[in-house]
Amino acid sequence: MGIAGKLLGLVFAVSGFLILWWGMGTNDALSLLYSFIGMFVMAMGFALLTSGRQQKEEKPPPPTVTEIRCSSCDFKEIRDFQKGDYVLKAVEATCPKCQGAMTIEGVYMVREDTEDKDRI
Amino acid sequence: MQLGEPNEFSWIINLAFFAFIIIFSLYGAKFQMWQWLKQIETGLHELKRMFIESRQTAIDTFKQYGKSEEEVAKDLDRWMDYFTIMPVDLDPAGILKRLDHLLDESRDRYQEFVAEVAPEATGGIDQNLENTLEVTQVLGLIFRVVRHFYLLGKKTGSQIMIMQIQMQMPDLLRLAKAYFDALGAIAEGKPIGDGIGPLVVTKFAREYGGTPDNYNHEISRDVGYYKVETEGRTVYALRATGPGGTVGKPGFAVKHLVDKFGDKVTRIITIDAALKLEGEELGRVSEGTGAAIGDLGPEKYAMEQTATERGIGIEAIVIKEDEAAAVGVMDKRILDAVPEVIERIKTSILKRTKPGDSVILAGIGNTIGIGL
Repeated sequence: MGIAGKLLGLVFAVSGFLILWWGMGTNDALSLLYSFIGMFVMAMGFALLTSGRQQKEEKPPPPTVTEIRCSSCDFKEIRDFQKGDYVLKAVEATCPKCQGAMTIEGVYMVREDTEDKDRI
Repeated sequence: MQLGEPNEFSWIINLAFFAFIIIFSLYGAKFQMWQWLKQIETGLHELKRMFIESRQTAIDTFKQYGKSEEEVAKDLDRWMDYFTIMPVDLDPAGILKRLDHLLDESRDRYQEFVAEVAPEATGGIDQNLENTLEVTQVLGLIFRVVRHFYLLGKKTGSQIMIMQIQMQMPDLLRLAKAYFDALGAIAEGKPIGDGIGPLVVTKFAREYGGTPDNYNHEISRDVGYYKVETEGRTVYALRATGPGGTVGKPGFAVKHLVDKFGDKVTRIITIDAALKLEGEELGRVSEGTGAAIGDLGPEKYAMEQTATERGIGIEAIVIKEDEAAAVGVMDKRILDAVPEVIERIKTSILKRTKPGDSVILAGIGNTIGIGL
């Protein structure tokens, strides 16, 4: 539902309210009917205004990454997880900085923190 | 004439009003039941989708190890409602021993099944497949139980049955979703949040010279230990043997270690993931007294009994996680808690033991994706 739908909903809601208002105020024999029509149009307007309110789309999970560290210096490499990776596995590649042995120090995901409104 | 004043249509309004009152006082509960049933139905469809997709993931994973898709599907469907009957508790004496025996038997059957369906899976992959199977089974079980109460409630018109399921549905969906999201990770052998205990223990042991080569295998089923020296104390750092997915029998491992190394053991420290309360920080570290282990009973009993009989102090350090984080791929915040836990272990050893004492450090949890 685009902006046009929302505008139409707004027009319906306002028109419905005016019809209801007029129906309640008039001495016409059909005032009841006008009131009901007003309520109906207003309800349609609100339905249009609120419909299509998209449910929060589920975000895909963040990628799993593998953190590899050099055992001798502070070199650290983070890459995508590959099948066969596990924590504390010694990797074949050597450290590009000092040629030391490297180990997988972590396989993890970085998930988003909860929103601030939930913090009490 | 204005709204509310009597006119020639007033009788319609009056009739409608009384009809409304009568219909809702007689059938209000029925309307509500209908609404609840619709809500359960929506949840049930979601549970069914999760179960079917997880079954397919399990089939896709198993078929890589030696059998065709049709054979795997047939065997998996046969296994989906495999059950373990809990021991009789009318005579509680010896119930934990009986329960332990049944759990061992059940584990044997799982291993046998995986070996049959995935004959080429070895070296820890078979354990990951067992975990995959268990998760699929859990999702199937949740779906079948909810469907049972939905259909039974519908059949009998039992309001209380329908109401209970409708009220529990959000929690059941949350639990099912946690397992469903974790399935891919488990099938691929990624470490999960529950593995933080074994990870801490291994990182601690490595700081003091523990390596895969000096790891002593099988002190109890699937559990081994590193023997390391720190500040004049001997630490037996035990954990389930990874990187395949298993929790092993750490409670009995503690018992066997104490039996083996006798009176020198003066402290048992357990490290485990614990369920956090809503609002608590993920990866928060807490400590307390007792055995941190969430088994059905035998393991915890073995630890407590050993500690009590020998007068050994027993304490727990836990890392707070929710269900999704515990069964899903390890979160960075959980991994970041490792240094703090190790610091607390060191503090505890220094404060509560003397040089020459021995300490058992037990890392409890699933070792999937956690190497030695």
